Formats: sequence, C-alpha cells, structure tokens
Amino acid sequence: MKYLALAAAGLGTLTAALLLGPADVPLGDIVRSPIVWQLRLPRAVLGFLVGGALGVSGVALQALVRNPLADPFLLGLSGGAGLGAVMAIALHFPGPWALPLAAFAGAVGAMALVYRLGLMGGGGEGGELDPRVLLLGGVAVGAFAAAITTAIVSLAEAAELRNAFLWLWGGFSGASWTTVWVMLVYAPAPLVVIAAAARPLDLLVLGEEPAQYLGADVRRLKRLVYLAASLLTAAAVAMAGVIGFVGLIVPHLCRLVWGRLHRTLLPTAFLTGGILVVAADTLARTAVAPRELPVGIVTALIGVPVFAVLLRRWTVS
Amino acid sequence: MALRTKAQALAHLRSVGGGFFAMRRWAHRTHLAGLLASLAAACGTGGRSSASRSLTLTDDAGRVVTLAHPARRIVSLLPSFTELLFAIGAGNRLVGRTTWCDYPPAALAVPSVGDAIPPNVEAVAARHPDLVVLYRSAQNTQAGSQLERLGIPVVVLDLNQLTDLGRAARILGRLTGRERSADSLARVMDSIATPPQPPTPGPYSLVFIVWDNPPIVIGAGSYLDRLAALAGARNVFHDIRSPSAQVSIETIAARDPDFIALLSDSATVPRYAARPEWRVVRAVRRNRFLLLPGQLFGRPSPRTTEAVHELRRRLEAAR
Amino acid sequence: MDGQLIVAVRDLTCRYPGAARDALREVSLEVSAGEFHAVLGPNGSGKTTLLRAALGLLRPAAGGAGGAGGRVEIFGRPASEWSRRDLARVVGVVPQREENLFPQRVRETVLLGRYPHLSLFGGVRAEDRDAVERALTACDAIELGDRWLWTLSGGEYQRVRLARALAQEPKLLMLDEPTMSLDLRHEMELFELVRGLVDARRLGALMITHHVNLAARFADEVLILADGRVAARGTPAEALTRETIERVFSWPVAIEPFEGRPQMIPLRQRKDVP
Repeated sequence: MKYLALAAAGLGTLTAALLLGPADVPLGDIVRSPIVWQLRLPRAVLGFLVGGALGVSGVALQALVRNPLADPFLLGLSGGAGLGAVMAIALHFPGPWALPLAAFAGAVGAMALVYRLGLMGGGGEGGELDPRVLLLGGVAVGAFAAAITTAIVSLAEAAELRNAFLWLWGGFSGASWTTVWVMLVYAPAPLVVIAAAARPLDLLVLGEEPAQYLGADVRRLKRLVYLAASLLTAAAVAMAGVIGFVGLIVPHLCRLVWGRLHRTLLPTAFLTGGILVVAADTLARTAVAPRELPVGIVTALIGVPVFAVLLRRWTVS
Repeated sequence: MALRTKAQALAHLRSVGGGFFAMRRWAHRTHLAGLLASLAAACGTGGRSSASRSLTLTDDAGRVVTLAHPARRIVSLLPSFTELLFAIGAGNRLVGRTTWCDYPPAALAVPSVGDAIPPNVEAVAARHPDLVVLYRSAQNTQAGSQLERLGIPVVVLDLNQLTDLGRAARILGRLTGRERSADSLARVMDSIATPPQPPTPGPYSLVFIVWDNPPIVIGAGSYLDRLAALAGARNVFHDIRSPSAQVSIETIAARDPDFIALLSDSATVPRYAARPEWRVVRAVRRNRFLLLPGQLFGRPSPRTTEAVHELRRRLEAAR
Repeated sequence: MDGQLIVAVRDLTCRYPGAARDALREVSLEVSAGEFHAVLGPNGSGKTTLLRAALGLLRPAAGGAGGAGGRVEIFGRPASEWSRRDLARVVGVVPQREENLFPQRVRETVLLGRYPHLSLFGGVRAEDRDAVERALTACDAIELGDRWLWTLSGGEYQRVRLARALAQEPKLLMLDEPTMSLDLRHEMELFELVRGLVDARRLGALMITHHVNLAARFADEVLILADGRVAARGTPAEALTRETIERVFSWPVAIEPFEGRPQMIPLRQRKDVP
C-alpha cells in the first residue's frame, strides 16, 4: 500500500513535470515538441536522479556519522564545489562544461581533505575513520573553502565572479540529455556500494563496537560508505548546485514511514528524494511564471511541513 | 547553514550594483523609487552662520542634508554619479571614486577608494571629503550613518531608471553650485527618459540575459528595459516589474526573442551558447547575440542617447 | 574442562595507541563449551579491554617484555584471521553500551542478530524468523516483541539484548556488565538465564561483572584483574580469597562460605560507630 502510493506519486510527479510549464505545448505535440523533449524531460529525469542521489547519501551519512542532523552538504562538499566554480570563472576555464567539472573537482577535493582529516582522528592506529572528526572536519573544510571563495570574489575585481554563487544555488537550468547520461553512467557505482552496505549500516546505527560484534567490518564499511555517499553528492552538486533539505529530510521521512532498516530505507529514500525534487522543480518553474523560484527554496517549503506533520503523527502514536 | 550562505550570496549579488554590471537584482524597490525625492529646498534659515551660502535639501532616503557651502571635495560611490558630476562640470571637485568609475577617462586620475561593495568608510574618510554621494541601498545604509557620525555630509540618491538621471543631476547641481549646467543636462535626460510621445514598439524583440544558470533576465524595473524600448526593441520580459528575475529557459524559448543581449566586453558569444538546453531558444540557435560593452550599457549615465543609438545601430546591422 | 575449547588467550599484553602503559599484561584465559566464566576487577582494571582483545578488536602489543604480546585463538585460529562476520556466527556479545539513534522495535533489533547469517543481497528467511522467536522465548521476552525499544524497562532491555546475541546462534556468549543498574530481581533473573543457557545448550559464557557474590554463586571459573594483570584465577573458592579481594579492591572484607561457595561481606571501617 505504502509502496503503491509511492509509485503513484512518482508517476504523477513525472507526468506533471512533462505536462506543466510556462510554454504552451498542445497535448498532441507532447511527443514532438523540443520544449518537452529537450527541456522538460531531461530536466525531470536529472531532477529525479539528483534527488534520489541526495536522499540515498543522506540516509547513508546519517547512519555513518550517527547524527540525525547530518546532511550530505555538511561534509564540506558545498564549500569545495563553490570554490571550484569560482576558480573556473576566475581562471576563465574554457568550454560549456567548465563550471560543473570544476565544481565537481572542488567537491571531490574537499571530500579528500575531510577524509584525510577523518583518518588522522582515528586514534592513530593507522586508518580508522572517526565519524566525529568527519563531521567537524567537514564543517571546517567547508568554512575554509567558503572563506577562500569569498576572498577570491572580493579581491578579484570582476563582478562576474559574484555570479558563481548564483550557479552554486542553481537548480536544474543546466539539465540536458548530456547531463542525464553522465549521471546515469556515474551514479550506479556509488549506489551499488551503498546498497551492498544496507545491512551493515543497520548495525552501525547501534555504534561501531556493537556493529563489529554483529559481524560488520566497520573499518571498511565507513570508508566505502563515506566515499560513495560523498561522490554521489559531489555529482549532484556539479549537476544542480546545492539543493538543501532533501538529504536531511528525506531520510527521516522514510524512516518514519518505512522503519529504520536500510534495505527498504535506501530504495524508498531514492524514490522519495527524486519525487520531492521533481515536484519542487515543477512548482519552481510554474508557480510564479514567468519567473522561476530557486528549487532549493521549494524543496524546503514542501519538505519541512510534510516532515513536521509526519513527525507529529509519529510522536503522538 | 545552507540558508544563511544563500542569503550571503544574494547580498553579494545585490551589492554588485555599483559595479561593472549594473544589471541589478534589487527586488521590490520600484514602488519606492523617487517618491521620497524632493527638490523643494525648504530653506529654514537654520541657525548656522553664513546662512546665505548654506544649502539644505532632502535626499532620496528622506534625509535632510545641509551643507555650509557648495561641495568642494566630493567622493562619488557610484559610476553613474561620477559621470553625472563630470557632465555638469564638477569633475574637478572629485577627490574619491570607486574602482568601477572608468568614464570619462579623466575620472581615472581621481584616487580610488575601493570597490565600494560595501563602501570602505576609512578609505572614504581619508580623502577628507565635504560630501559623499551614496547610492540608496540596504547595504549602504550602515556606511552612510558611519560617515555621518564622522561629521561627513552624505547624500543618498536613487539611480535605477533613466528617469532618475535628471533628478540626480539637479540635486548634484545644487550641491556643487552648478545648477545651470545641471538643469540643462537634466532637461535632456528627462526628454529621453519621458519623451513627449511614448516610444513606438519597435520591430525587434530581445531578452537581456544577466546569467545563464539559473537564467536571470532583465525586467521592466531596470533602465535597460526602457533603453531597449528607445532603441526600438521590445524587452520580452517587460511584464516582470522588478529589475531582474530568475526565469526558466523554457520561458525564454516560449517568448522567442529575436536577440539575446548581454553586457560583455568580449567579442565572443558566451559559452552556454553551445549547451544543448540553450539551443532550444531560436535566437541562440541562430547566434543572434548582442554583446554590449559594459562601460556604455552597464549603468544609467548621461551618455544614454549614445547607448540608445549604439543599440539601434547594432539591431539594424544584425537584421 | 568438559567441553571443546572455544577461546584461548595466552600471555596477552595490549596497549592502547598513545597510552603510557599496558592496558593488559600477560593475561591468560580459556573458555570452553559449557563453562561460565566471570571476570572481576575494579574500574579501569582492563576487563572490557580483555573482551575486545579476545575478539580481535585490539591487537596484542608488538613487542612486550616477553617478546611478542601473546596470542588469542578462537577455535584454534588466531582471532586476527577471523572475519567479523564469521566471528559473529560463533560469538554473541552483549556490549556495555550501544546507541539508539533511531527508534526501533524489539523484533527488529533481535533480527540484527541474524545478519551474520544472511547473504549480501538475500532476504530474511523463515529460519531466521524462527531463530528470532526462539531467542525471544529463551530470554522470556516473547511478549515484548512488538514494543518500541525505548518503552522497555532496564531489565527488559537487557533480556532483549541477550536475545539478540542468542539469535546469532553462537557457541560463546560474552556479556559486559549486563546487570549494571538493574534491581535485585532482574539481576538474579539475568544470572539465572545465562547459567541456564550454559547448562542447557553447552554454551561458553564470559561475563564481566562487579558482583563478586553473584559471580561466586553462578560462575565455574573466576578471573580477577587488577591494573591489567591477573590477580587471581580459578574456581570461585580458589580465586576469591580474603587477601586477594582486599588487595584488589582496597577494602577490608570477610569471606563466608554459603552453599559451598565463598561469599564476600564488606566490612565497615569506622568500628566506633554502632
């Protein structure tokens, strides 16, 4: 029943995303219209993939750092991506893909730095990843990257640089079939890694030591899950900028509805994240036409009240 | 945290106002513009000595500004103000400008006080000005009150629409004692901004694109909207009342402008022109880009007539 | 020694990274099937460290005074060679602490004990569900199955955690202070439960506890640790002497026999107060 509702919601939002938009496309032309084929469809598919990736990373990272407030962007990735984007503009990297590529490189760089810090914190035994240090390191690296970004922006006297911030909060204007294919080729590997870790993640929620007694190879698990979730988020930020709240709220939402076992949590978080983002983006495109709202604001506007209602229902029962 | 960062990003954007790209993102300010301005210098012979020479006027922020004598050491914190001051023959009174003030060439000889985003109060004060001309924006409010606390007179002016030029010229004329040349400039500006007959809708349509991802376009709240109309081109986003707004590529494609106009000192089309999602827009496919130099088009200025002619020339050349 | 040798710790010396001194020093211990071992000792004497080291979470020190830091073997194989998953199929642990970050139900948490038996992408089988029910029944917790974990009392919670360890279908149970902050009845029920499992299923059991008297009543073997060294080892009667306890716990006691086992009575120091 709950799964049926989810499938219906998925189909409904995707259909709405294809049918609705500021341009009038007659129903008969839906299949042939370049507006649908080149703009709405790739945008909806990319939104679904990015939302799904954020939902899954959120679930995995909250279990990994055992902190219900963890958000994929908390781990320094948005700061790194912003720095990458600003560098791309400041150094005039050529080509239409310079910005997303540089943002991806920045996010991965931040991830590597945080990972390195996380390893240093692990009691010196050579290679134990400490989730607390990951969190603190993520915040620190993110703030550091943001500081460098701001420094570049204020020192370089090119107002164009300030627009890099706009890009960072961009949303899905950059969606095309190329981006969809990139995501389709890229995302499965980290997704499979996280899916394979579903059961160990259930154990990890009890704490690292209890998880080991129940058969989880915690050391390997933490590394794989951290890297996979971060790489997913880095791709998401390169494709669509920082879309807040999805990675934070979707995991909790799914936990409230489907329980806390990751075997059901991960796929439902993927679908719910996708649905939330596509719905938010459709609203962002149509609600205040001809203008458009930043999609991150709409995800928060939809996600937070839904979350509050569910939270209330759950605490009452 | 995410939201706070976003707010910061937007604050940065807003503050671009004084800069090279004067395509600004101030929302909700159209209604306020100009309402507070008043030229009626209700001269209360207020107590000070040499009352005959003292000047009192109300600026666009509704503040009463009193000068003991016409300003002799002026710091201008907006390129448009700098151009206006030179145009009314008060350029030699300038002792400070922003890094963006690059016209007329003589302005470059004036010492810079930084990018003024936000104004560096110490650098401004170090020029010992007897008048600071500040653009009216939320970001500049603090700098304004700080300068006043240092005893430096500050006048705060609007400058968003072409219609603001005439009024600003007259106020600057009064403050510098160059009312006559300011008035003749203002009359020219007013006749351009509000011509006797409304400009007939031109044969062309265009969109001003400020940024591509997310797409941000110019609306009716910006001087560029009127500038395009004067040149005979209809801004396809004239229905958006704010100076600029985020829209989707789909909306741009649906409005199907003949030209894509953007402020750019480069001669090459922007790189997003090669991206598949943008090629849904007909003008992008046909490579109909108008690359407008920032110095002339990037701000409302006394050279508006020149800008209008230049835009019309380019539109006709591209036909 | 009536059963198969399960875990053997020989001359184990361990040191935490960065620590100034050894956490364990030349400690030996052998637990066989059908035996109940109790580990006693003051706070910080190395009891939990011994449990960790016995399960390969802590490596023996590289070079102690006696050369290498000793050996730990489980079913004859060095602990470091066991994968965590294989080890979890033979040893069930009730650790001292665990987190309850997200709410879960009793049956769900007991099912976690089946994870070492599940394949990577395979589902939960009927035999796994049976094992969960059996474990809940064995721990007298079957009626708690649908409750949320956070609604349980302290005693119920510990029975559920023991059920999870039993669901692993282990050969050896290890419990780290399972009766901490339980009242008398729940303490006794838990000791009885563990003793019953050891006798009925021929499990090995190793329990870390502060209860000298309950350890003496229930355990077959007692190991007393002090500052990471073995202070005494043997049957309760052999290990729990007045001299040892007074030395290890730094408090005067009397030892009285009860049903053939020693029982400790702590003495008051201020004899002048009636």
